[in-house]
Amino acid sequence: MDTYIIQAIHGLVYGMLLFLVSSGLTLVFGMMGVLNLAHAAFYMLGAYFAYTITVHLGNFWLSLILAPLIVGTVGIGIEHFTLRKVHKSGHVAELLLTFGLFYVFGELVRIIWGSNPLRIPVPALLAGEIPLMGTTYPIYRTFILGFSFLILIGMALLLLRTRIGIIIRAAVSDADMVDVLGTNVPRVFMGVFGGGAALAALAGVIAAPFLSTYPGMGLDVLLDCFVVIVVGGFGSLLGAFVTSLMLGELQSFGVLWIPRLALVFQFLLMAVVLIVRPTGLFGEKQ
Amino acid sequence: MNRRRALKIVGGGIASLFLLLLPVLLPEVDVHLATEILIFALFAVSFNLLLGYCGLLPFGHAACFGVGAYATALIFKHITGMPFLITLLISALSGFVGALIIGFFCVRLSGSYFALISLAFQMFLYAVALKWRDVTNGDDGMGVTRPDLYLPGLGTLSLMNIQYLYYVTLVIVALAILACYLFLKTPLGHAAVSMRENVIRASFLGYNVFLTRLAIFSFSGFLAGISGALFVVFEEFVATTVMDVHMSFTVILMATIGGTGHFLGPVLGAVFLMVFQDWISSLTKHWWLFMGIVFVMVVLYAEGGLIGLFKWEKIRALFVSEKES
Repeated sequence: MDTYIIQAIHGLVYGMLLFLVSSGLTLVFGMMGVLNLAHAAFYMLGAYFAYTITVHLGNFWLSLILAPLIVGTVGIGIEHFTLRKVHKSGHVAELLLTFGLFYVFGELVRIIWGSNPLRIPVPALLAGEIPLMGTTYPIYRTFILGFSFLILIGMALLLLRTRIGIIIRAAVSDADMVDVLGTNVPRVFMGVFGGGAALAALAGVIAAPFLSTYPGMGLDVLLDCFVVIVVGGFGSLLGAFVTSLMLGELQSFGVLWIPRLALVFQFLLMAVVLIVRPTGLFGEKQ
Repeated sequence: MNRRRALKIVGGGIASLFLLLLPVLLPEVDVHLATEILIFALFAVSFNLLLGYCGLLPFGHAACFGVGAYATALIFKHITGMPFLITLLISALSGFVGALIIGFFCVRLSGSYFALISLAFQMFLYAVALKWRDVTNGDDGMGVTRPDLYLPGLGTLSLMNIQYLYYVTLVIVALAILACYLFLKTPLGHAAVSMRENVIRASFLGYNVFLTRLAIFSFSGFLAGISGALFVVFEEFVATTVMDVHMSFTVILMATIGGTGHFLGPVLGAVFLMVFQDWISSLTKHWWLFMGIVFVMVVLYAEGGLIGLFKWEKIRALFVSEKES
């Protein structure tokens, strides 16, 4: 029984991380129909910046602020200087562009930090374990859980309670109409793109001491994110949240019960959802 | 336009002559490279049937390539003495059937949805190949012995000889690409292009969008199956890499860099990517960076791809002075 609870918490931790990454992806898709493959690179950059900042400045907490800022700026730059230029050529060109950028970032990371996995020590404050259900559980993982719930609440407040949140949600449902009503949608989109990049980087930072940091981490999380936004419904934050947790648990228990089929199952789930309900579980529009 | 036609004939003639004499002109290591280029050229052409002519971008086109590859490997492993050409046909048909099933679910969708569902199927097949070790041996892969090819009148050719393998690949790839070219000239091919331009208008004109796209998707799978089978014979080895994401992504790079707007664009892309990779990987191990930068530049600044840089108008301007034109 205890094993199941521990395993369930494991799943929850990974699910929350996945949600942080996929929320930006799904918002960007909802607003502009751009499936941003480079998004996973932002997550990876976050983890690598965390490594550099922790090693050179000796402070993990600093990287929690600096890395998202840097990556968010990179994201805004990418949106402004490249993505905007191909927008008129259609979605296929946008897909291809972000796909190429994903490769460029992946290789840049290899050049700067090398191909070997890097380890970041868990900050001293959160090292160690707490007793839980008769066994012990690493404090750092409970920190990930708590921290990502805080981010989730912050995001919910921003989207549901502020004016900019109303504009973003309106733009997700009908960007043209919001544009006509006098809001500068491209600028809002640039902000959302940068914000999404920063959020992905933040996920990368807090994931770094927990998972190891390696050049393939972008691709791994990208494939999981695809499953999340497809199953949850393109553009739906609620869908992304529910599906992230589902996928986290699925992987966590899948490894426990059916290790041979765990990988097969998640892509089967994605294919079935796309066939039966192409809009996803919570999506509204196609 | 007669000059244009003449230029095409002369250019085509020189290219064919070069391809025929290539094993004589170049050292063996380059013949290896040329064989691999031919195989990928066919794969890229099959991909461009979808991206260039249907306007559909599949992220998981390696699924059909991998099905053809595994079919060949399994046939050679379990049925001794199976003739090469029949194996090739069976592999192509398995690519066809695979594409028919995947396409049945995919082609109703378009854009990012289409891209992702095709990726989902590819990842599903990849996971099956990775985990079903009894049959596929997972990521350790299986060795394959190159078969002999019996030709009536010519006797038996051993494909262990790279020159023979080159010529056999050349003939098969040339026939397949020719078939693809002729296929696009049929009313079915024209219908697919009309749907790329305006799907609503095409369906109002009475064309069945689903069936047309399914037919093209399956034919593309058939060609990808052939290239996968040839790839296994060339490599003498098959592993899960034949249908992982990198294989799918490589073909996207080839077709887009070469140019999706021209029938031979993907062929040029395959030549460029393989030669560029061969050259730059001897200089730096980070050649993916340069590949990625070239790719991004092409998407941003040269929408027609590399082949778009060789437009007839530009070539003509080299030969004809301003006054004449």
